[in-house]
Amino acid sequence: MNVGDTLALKKSDLAMFFASLAHEMRLVAPKRRFGGDVIFDVVESPTQIAWDYGHDIYPPKRFVLPHYEDLFGYRADGEVRFEDLGEAPMQAIVGIRSCDVTAIRFQEKFFSSQIVDPYFKARSDNTVLFSLVCNTPPKKECFCICCDAGPYLDSGFDVELTDLGDRLLYRIGSEKGLKASEPGGHMLAPADGEDRAERKRIELEADSLFATEAYLAKAILFISADEVPDKIWEELGSTCFRCAACTNLCPVCTCYTVDDRREDDGSCVRCRSWDSCQYAGFTREASDHNPRPTFGSRVQRRFYHKASYQYITRDGRHGCVGCGRCVSACLTKLDLPSVVKRIRRSMEEYLQPLPSGEVRP
Amino acid sequence: MTLTAARPRNMWGVTDNPSPNLYIPMVAIVDEIIDETPDTKTFRLSFQDKEYAKTFDWEPGQFVEVTVFGAGEAPIGFASSPLEKSFFELTIVDRGKVTRAMHRLRKGDKVGIRGPLGNCWPLEEMKGRDVLIVSGGCGLAPLRPAILQMLADRASYGDFWLLYGARTPADRDFVYDLESWAARDDMHLLQTVDVPDDKWNDNVGVVTILFDKMRLNASTAVALICGPPIMIKFATIGLQRMGFTDDRIVMSLERYMKCGVGKCGHCCVNHVYLCTEGPVFTYKDLLALPELKL
Amino acid sequence: MVDTPTICGFCSCGCALYVEPTGRRVAALCPSANHPVSTGRLCIKGWNATPALAGEHRLRTPLVRKADKLETASWEEAISVTVSALKQAEPAKIGVIGSAKTTNEECYQLARLARDVIGTPNVDCGCRFYDASLIPGLLETTGVPGSQVGMDAITAAGSILVVGANVMDQLPHVGSRIQDAVENGCKVVAVDPRTSRLAPQAAMFLNPKPGTDLAWLRAMAKSIIERRLYADGVPEMQGFEELVSSLDGVDAGRLAEQCGLSAESIAEAAELLASNPRTIVMFGLGVMQQAESTATIKALADIALLLGGKVMPLRGQNNAQGACDMGLLPDMLAGYAPLPDGAAPGLDAARMLRACATGEIEALLIFGENVALSAPSTQETIDALGKARFVAVADMYLTETAQLADVVFPACSFLEKDGTFTNIERRVQRVRKVIDPPGQARSDLEITAGLASALGSSISADPAEVMAEIAANVPLYSGVSYEALEESWGSPWPCDGAAPRLAAIPPGILPGGAAEPVADPDFPMRMIAGRINFHQQTGTMACRSPILAREYPKSFVEMNEADAEALKIRAGNLVNISTKSGTLTRLLLLSEAVPRGCVHVPHFFGGDSPNALVSYQPDPISGVPAYKACAVKVEAAG
Repeated sequence: MNVGDTLALKKSDLAMFFASLAHEMRLVAPKRRFGGDVIFDVVESPTQIAWDYGHDIYPPKRFVLPHYEDLFGYRADGEVRFEDLGEAPMQAIVGIRSCDVTAIRFQEKFFSSQIVDPYFKARSDNTVLFSLVCNTPPKKECFCICCDAGPYLDSGFDVELTDLGDRLLYRIGSEKGLKASEPGGHMLAPADGEDRAERKRIELEADSLFATEAYLAKAILFISADEVPDKIWEELGSTCFRCAACTNLCPVCTCYTVDDRREDDGSCVRCRSWDSCQYAGFTREASDHNPRPTFGSRVQRRFYHKASYQYITRDGRHGCVGCGRCVSACLTKLDLPSVVKRIRRSMEEYLQPLPSGEVRP
Repeated sequence: MTLTAARPRNMWGVTDNPSPNLYIPMVAIVDEIIDETPDTKTFRLSFQDKEYAKTFDWEPGQFVEVTVFGAGEAPIGFASSPLEKSFFELTIVDRGKVTRAMHRLRKGDKVGIRGPLGNCWPLEEMKGRDVLIVSGGCGLAPLRPAILQMLADRASYGDFWLLYGARTPADRDFVYDLESWAARDDMHLLQTVDVPDDKWNDNVGVVTILFDKMRLNASTAVALICGPPIMIKFATIGLQRMGFTDDRIVMSLERYMKCGVGKCGHCCVNHVYLCTEGPVFTYKDLLALPELKL
Repeated sequence: MVDTPTICGFCSCGCALYVEPTGRRVAALCPSANHPVSTGRLCIKGWNATPALAGEHRLRTPLVRKADKLETASWEEAISVTVSALKQAEPAKIGVIGSAKTTNEECYQLARLARDVIGTPNVDCGCRFYDASLIPGLLETTGVPGSQVGMDAITAAGSILVVGANVMDQLPHVGSRIQDAVENGCKVVAVDPRTSRLAPQAAMFLNPKPGTDLAWLRAMAKSIIERRLYADGVPEMQGFEELVSSLDGVDAGRLAEQCGLSAESIAEAAELLASNPRTIVMFGLGVMQQAESTATIKALADIALLLGGKVMPLRGQNNAQGACDMGLLPDMLAGYAPLPDGAAPGLDAARMLRACATGEIEALLIFGENVALSAPSTQETIDALGKARFVAVADMYLTETAQLADVVFPACSFLEKDGTFTNIERRVQRVRKVIDPPGQARSDLEITAGLASALGSSISADPAEVMAEIAANVPLYSGVSYEALEESWGSPWPCDGAAPRLAAIPPGILPGGAAEPVADPDFPMRMIAGRINFHQQTGTMACRSPILAREYPKSFVEMNEADAEALKIRAGNLVNISTKSGTLTRLLLLSEAVPRGCVHVPHFFGGDSPNALVSYQPDPISGVPAYKACAVKVEAAG
């Protein structure tokens, strides 16, 4: 087998294939919970994998950037002693979608640009992504196609699976993917012309099935040039609940806070946990001065980070993969597609010449 | 020549250090504590690992993340001369959870240090030019390393003006240095306070009132500014009026920080991470950052 | 692994969330997507629930006061000291104050401990300091001592009247559904002295003077009746005639003006609501903590009934509904059953606290309620507790109340025990243990059973057993079982049996039927006590989450710029807000949302509470102290 190979795996062999992988590493996959909730979690057996999952809320980014992560512990009574608490279990995230794969690759680039974050790197180095192509959009909120992050990828996955009915198309995308294919390698057969044709047909059809759209180009233009008036940001911010679900559930977002916590045995642990630019306290200084004091300024911040050419240049792509989680999780209508649409509409109105014929400055 | 904020020689996380990883600090000991004002103390620190201390190399304008064990971490700028190898000083205002805990430390106590972080004042590019330093309140501390380094290489610089404004005479930092600088004949020190006391017989008013008393070559001089945001704003306007171009007005910005290595996102201003690409910027650099609403 | 769903213990929305334990901490947290309330979304408190509970200062052992200091003690000692003290007092001089945050099972057994084991009628819960006024107010009108509708009804409403409630900040799921409803064409009439963040959604936002709600509601009821805006069948409803005659002589326009509203605004609001049927009338603590809360609530219920609509009282705490359902009340048993024949009601919580000062109450058990901050007149409350012969407190942290106690029992958080909570929809939901409690902390249920046992009675400490007993004895809960709750999220208890009637709305107790009390020249401003989003009740939990505490690190008050100028106080300076009961010193900020003559004082920055300014003046019917619209003086602080 080689990187770049296109193979096929019978669905009847799926459980065995991943069982053999499970000897080398833990499996993380979509799991059904109470009442039909699906959450990416460690599975004890491949039979727990919910292959046909539609909506999942908690992004698998938590397996490379945990919600709460202990960095190190220390004792400072007498000699100061540190204990690195970083963990990086060998893991395969199976059934992850193209949007989340794109997001994790984005995060890998971010966490190793200029200065390398050792905790993230250790976890992501030990993580293999077995992505699953979306033959149809899993939920109506999906818009990955507007963000160049799906429903299927040309690269970025370690292994990519496509459901072809009674079998999966199996594409090896990296060395890591190649190595992870070895334990079950005897169950993989070369793909034939029909497999590839079916995959092509799926690609063409999948592109046409989206219910949500986010035409980002104009928004990026206005946001990058700082041309969206404050009034529009304040209007958008006026309904925000400041719950930070958007940033928590966004597979691309990476901001975190760091706190020292006392343990029962007198030692301390420095822990990092997901933070959000949508909180007022995110930028408040000890003097009580807050550079982003209004809801509008914080909404503006989020969209600047997601959709400005300044960030696109830094990060290699814009900060949204169209997974649709912010659409489901926002208590109001500050999801990316809605905001992009409102910016476009407001700007169209705003840029209309005034009745006198003058153009607004 | 267009001035841009300088890249430092050393940056924690980029250059090597013996710490297990870039989040785990090195240990330093509090050698001395100097009371500057009722709410400000200068801590003189030296690394526990003396070999590391020898290789520890930083530049004026940079900062460290100080861990007060049990309380947390806070970003504090270097405040001493970088030529001094056996110790470094941090001047700390008692303001938040970590700095309050720092103020309760005693000689011999240990802290954690990650650094040097951030970029530096462009002292190399400033050689051959007149120098103007405008500082307010605790803003003198991040400028002190630059002042000390330039004064140690006095011949490389032109006329040297230091303007310092504080709320009251008792709120001035580094009074001992101000006295020795006032006595030097190779630099001009102008001071002012908002509210004088009985013994004060110098200027009264905001620091920008001192601008009229300066004589320097505004078409080539470089100004370094550090202090409260409102002071920076009015100083900049005053300097522009005098003929300083935007690339020769250099300032140190402040933001809430956590990781210090450009990852956690707290210190971002638009697309710039203050901890790795700042905190020193020219006014020209800042014009590209609409969030500042300049 | 993220296996076990449980219910959030902050507000009454009752969202379901998954928590992944790691040792005694939490490594991950996310909402349930298919839960009918959370629908995949949580608020800032829900997302940051866990650090709030895992704070390093959690109580780990019982404490017993020795030589005026609280010292670590064993459970045996703590219980034996408590039981000894209880035995020394006559039952009628013992008081039990429970919590609106503990589980139904805990509330039920605490009420049993009080009535059956100790034999005291003095039983109450924290609702006395918040929303207990809705019980008499609604029992006598809609017949349902809680919300008649669930979350889904909000989205489908044709019009919503929201009075005295900052829904966007306090009950985000309600606020979110109001936003959805407005998008579907719903018309919102919001009424609050202070313009809240609901303003962008409101078709009309009325700002009456604080404390005048009873008056403008009379005006609105009169307007509806005079102009025949009521729904079909209303004149035939029980109580209609009494209502009409109680409004005799009311000039709706003039009364509106006395409340600080325009003469037409009330009529316009009534029209708007009447012409958009499927009306929901919502009201929050702005109403439930007023001087005449019960009467005001009846008036609000009348408006709903006149318009053929429903009532949704916005009670705040996660199990306020359940605590009252379980009979932690001095004048009713579980299920709102009347006391046995001849039995007189016991003292309510507010009375119990004051009775500590006179010796009428000698021993007090306080489970999970930080009365030192939630009761009014803080200094008076603290002094009274100090005078009581014996006080035992069960809580998670060493709260201001616990610091005054003789015995402190370390209690569990909602993540550390099994049980049920009843949310604002009357939905009984399963709370599941996810992590172990710290040290020797026990659930309130275990503590209650331990005390009962030491007093010679055996009551169950097994949540499933207790719920089976509740289901057998409380008709409202007859459909609840732990087996059923393994298959579904739970359902609201039935309320269709209730027969609604209209209540008379006589003029309030103020002389001459005035809309608001005569201004006191020494205390010329009115305090609008509110709450900012990140705190809950007294902040015992919320203030310990670094992210929640970071949102507003400094306590503040807000005033209108014109008032600040007139008083010559600059924003950013400290001000003293005082009444005869106490003084508060806080930072002043300016806000145009605060009307002239008022100062907005938000609750709870770890100990510094506007309740310190409020006296023990209770609503005559429900005994809930009048926290709102208190007259204050504001001046620059030294």
